[in-house]
Amino acid sequence: MEDFKKISARLEIAKKKIKKNLIKDDSANVTSLGKAFKISTELVASVVVGTTLGYILDNWFDTKPWLIICFFFMGVAAGILNVIRSAKNMHRNLKK
Amino acid sequence: MATNPMHQFEVYSIGPDISLGVLNLSFTNASLFMLVSAVIISFLLFLGAKKKSLVPSKIQLVTEMTYTFVAKMINDTTGNNAKVFFPFIFTLFMFVLFCNMIGMLPYSFTVTSHIIVTFTLAATIFIGVTVIGFLRHGIKYLELFVPKGVPIILLPLIVVIEIISYLSRPVSLSVRLFANMMAGHTMLKVFGGFVISLGLLGGWLPLGFSVALTGLEILVAFLQAYVFAILTCIYLNDALNLHH
Repeated sequence: MEDFKKISARLEIAKKKIKKNLIKDDSANVTSLGKAFKISTELVASVVVGTTLGYILDNWFDTKPWLIICFFFMGVAAGILNVIRSAKNMHRNLKK
Repeated sequence: MATNPMHQFEVYSIGPDISLGVLNLSFTNASLFMLVSAVIISFLLFLGAKKKSLVPSKIQLVTEMTYTFVAKMINDTTGNNAKVFFPFIFTLFMFVLFCNMIGMLPYSFTVTSHIIVTFTLAATIFIGVTVIGFLRHGIKYLELFVPKGVPIILLPLIVVIEIISYLSRPVSLSVRLFANMMAGHTMLKVFGGFVISLGLLGGWLPLGFSVALTGLEILVAFLQAYVFAILTCIYLNDALNLHH
């Protein structure tokens, strides 16, 4: 019976150690580098999508070049929004 | 021809030309390397899962580690109710990872350095996530485009911006993977060309750079697969839980 208690005490300590290591693992460099890649393309992609959408709609409604100008700026806004959003998410995850 | 850094990205057909109407369905070197990575993944996982010993062999350890890695990633980003999508995300992660890694071998072909491949993957995810969102929430899924607490005058503008931001997801997902892979491989080839042209005297410096870049490229290959999978999880989370 005493052996059993000893083992369970050791098990508890081992579990705690594993938990500590897991938390350390989360803040590893790999994930932060991944986040950097993620943010950089997000800004560009929205601008590209906005401009393409504007170009297509311009051809549709025959309103060259007004819609492409509007949609370019909206694309920029969307890109900035995306970046702010993912930065906020990262911040929230860090706090957790 | 051999010194041209873009030569490595050329797609050519192996074997007979097969065409169906306007579609060219020939078996190319790209299809060959996709097949190779699929076969290697299946083989590795089959070997790893065959003998379930309590003290795992090396290959079983690798299999179990990839499993827990992906399972933990899904759990952290999407929560418990996304367990159903584990097979899809695991397949996606392994496929992108192995395509990237096999591309690191000399004389091989990097499938993921072609935007059509990465865009097809991203578009599949995008359409799938949208369908899942509409199935889960019905017409209420459109609330994703209408953030709370916005004045009514600004609403049309905000909705358009939100739609652009939503549509930019597959583009950013595919361009990220493709650009990273293509830029890395072009750079490796350029430095390799320098080694040859500078000869025995000056070639050592670019050779050192190539060695360092190879290490960096292996990191990037893993990282891009990870980012691709984790972003799929994040998009799934938006579709399943519907709040920002």
